[in-house]
Amino acid sequence: MNYLVSILLLAISTALINNMVFHYFVGNCPFIGVSRRVDMAFGMGAAVTFVVTIAAALSWIMTYFILAPGAPLTAAIWRLARHGSSAVVDLSILNYIVYIFVIAWAVQLVEMYVRKFFPPLYKSFGVFLPLITTNCVILFTCLEIMKHVPLAGAPVPDPWGLDKALIFAFFAGFGFLIAIVLMAGIREELDHCDVPAPLRGPGITMIVTGILALAFLGFTGMDANLARRLIKPAAPAAAPAATAPAAAVLPAE
Amino acid sequence: MKGSYIGQAWLAIVLASAFGAALAGVHAGLGPRIAANRLNDTLSQIPALVPGAARGEAVEVAGRLVYRAVDAAGAPVGWVVPANGQGFADRIELLIGLDRDAARITGLYVLQQNETPGLGNRVTEEAFRNRFRDQAAGAPLRVVKGRAGGAGEIEAVTGATVSSDSVTAIVNGAVDRFRREKPGMP
Amino acid sequence: MSERKSDGPTPMERFIGGLLPENPVYRQILGICPTLAVTNTMEGALTMGLAAAFVLLCSNVLISLIRPLLKPHLRILIFTLTIATFVTIADRVLAAYLYDMSKQLGPYIPLIIVNCIIIARCEICASKQSVGTAAADALGQSLGFTLGLMSIATVREILGFGTWFGRWLGWRVIPEMAPAHWSNWVVMILPPGAFLTLGLLLGVFNALTAKKEKAA
Repeated sequence: MNYLVSILLLAISTALINNMVFHYFVGNCPFIGVSRRVDMAFGMGAAVTFVVTIAAALSWIMTYFILAPGAPLTAAIWRLARHGSSAVVDLSILNYIVYIFVIAWAVQLVEMYVRKFFPPLYKSFGVFLPLITTNCVILFTCLEIMKHVPLAGAPVPDPWGLDKALIFAFFAGFGFLIAIVLMAGIREELDHCDVPAPLRGPGITMIVTGILALAFLGFTGMDANLARRLIKPAAPAAAPAATAPAAAVLPAE
Repeated sequence: MKGSYIGQAWLAIVLASAFGAALAGVHAGLGPRIAANRLNDTLSQIPALVPGAARGEAVEVAGRLVYRAVDAAGAPVGWVVPANGQGFADRIELLIGLDRDAARITGLYVLQQNETPGLGNRVTEEAFRNRFRDQAAGAPLRVVKGRAGGAGEIEAVTGATVSSDSVTAIVNGAVDRFRREKPGMP
Repeated sequence: MSERKSDGPTPMERFIGGLLPENPVYRQILGICPTLAVTNTMEGALTMGLAAAFVLLCSNVLISLIRPLLKPHLRILIFTLTIATFVTIADRVLAAYLYDMSKQLGPYIPLIIVNCIIIARCEICASKQSVGTAAADALGQSLGFTLGLMSIATVREILGFGTWFGRWLGWRVIPEMAPAHWSNWVVMILPPGAFLTLGLLLGVFNALTAKKEKAA
């Protein structure tokens, strides 16, 4: 039960509270570029969600098994090569390079899939589909997951298994989808308005994004407080500590 | 066409090897310095957290990393326990100073937080952290709004009740766990 | 490879271009992610600008040196490999020598890899022009980028913290006053403030340059 609740809270937190666009500032270039029409925005959001889930799964697997200090595969190969030496091999300096190539490969995969099964969508995307490679959302998601990959040697404060990494990635893409579709809906209406000339285009888009980000700020703290209410503490000794702050909580902020 | 795949890819392979070697060099050269930076972040706080401590030694207690604070002569004078938990906005990482018997809290330091600037992140200020000094570690501390009545009560930061609660909850949990798991005094 | 006489814009034109007419932040609207994330303090803006400058300069020079060897379909891969390597180096150097900044900038340094500015410059300039021109282009673009970042950071830090270079130099621009007279605009430090500042500054920039064009 606790597990399901923590998964649910991770999903809500990633999609709404720590939204990729409104909280972490990533994914702004396609956000400004592709948010003119709702159907294109939805297509872009869906494509990004797809790519980020695949890329995140692959990068978690590569980090856990190969790149992290003390990773199983690397350690096994090193032991074989050096006849039982148990030195810790740390390939994490290659992290960024591996992630960006995983992302490029995932984008190629999605491109081929979309071209084969949804040709009109492929044509309407044009150059924006390969440009997903430079979408900060995906690399940022991989980097966040990298921080939470369980390490063999040193304990990580908040380790995520492959399941949590996938949930995080999917809902990161989903949050991006929400943001970009919201923006597209607003911009379709803005087209009918008389925006001052200097602000037309990126200027007004940024201002509207700022207002949306203000709105999303209102979600802050939801996941922490829901966690406090819903997740039952494991050890009985922790119970008094958990109920004391819960009783004193009446958020005055 | 097949043969020219190698012809086309040789540049990529050569570059990849060159870059790989360069990165290995960077890792070998800078790695120790970066690790020292990370460790220093924590170790540099130890003298401020435990009175009389000159430095800290990393010790593993029940699978967790804690630091034994020692004076200049090497005699143990206390403990520094890293702790982390969920704050209002994001995770909060703390260092808790305890005396030799883990009976009193001697100090608190916030390593990492992402609370609301100007409100929640005032838990990093000395005024709030000093409220934990000299508190007994035996029973959980309680957060109160307004003036703290007696021992065992922590006055919350005005307008940042949840952040204050979170820090106190993290301290309570970590201190309780350490008292149960700590090794007998040497 | 037809006429090599006019090799495109000269190094000087490339350098000046990066500052104003083709400013990456205000004109090309590229590289927005770090622009918003690191500009709540001047130190963050300056460090990010320097890191991006290092990566851009090294990538441009290297790509320009190997440009006769680049095959059309593999060039993006080569660009990406080069940029990712230099970003890793920049990230490690920061973690070694400027650890506090490295912690503050967090994941936004590795995001330089997908910063559209760098790939765009490799594609537009470095893969087609000589090393000198590529270097001038890199310097101009990164100077323009840093100036753009610092302009936004100035507004955000002064309104949000009341300081300017508060962390490194400790200069207070707005003196400490009772909350009745002035309290810090916390929103400027948070994400919404970043978006609003960028939008308004974009408007100001466009208005100023439009007036100049009208006068000319």
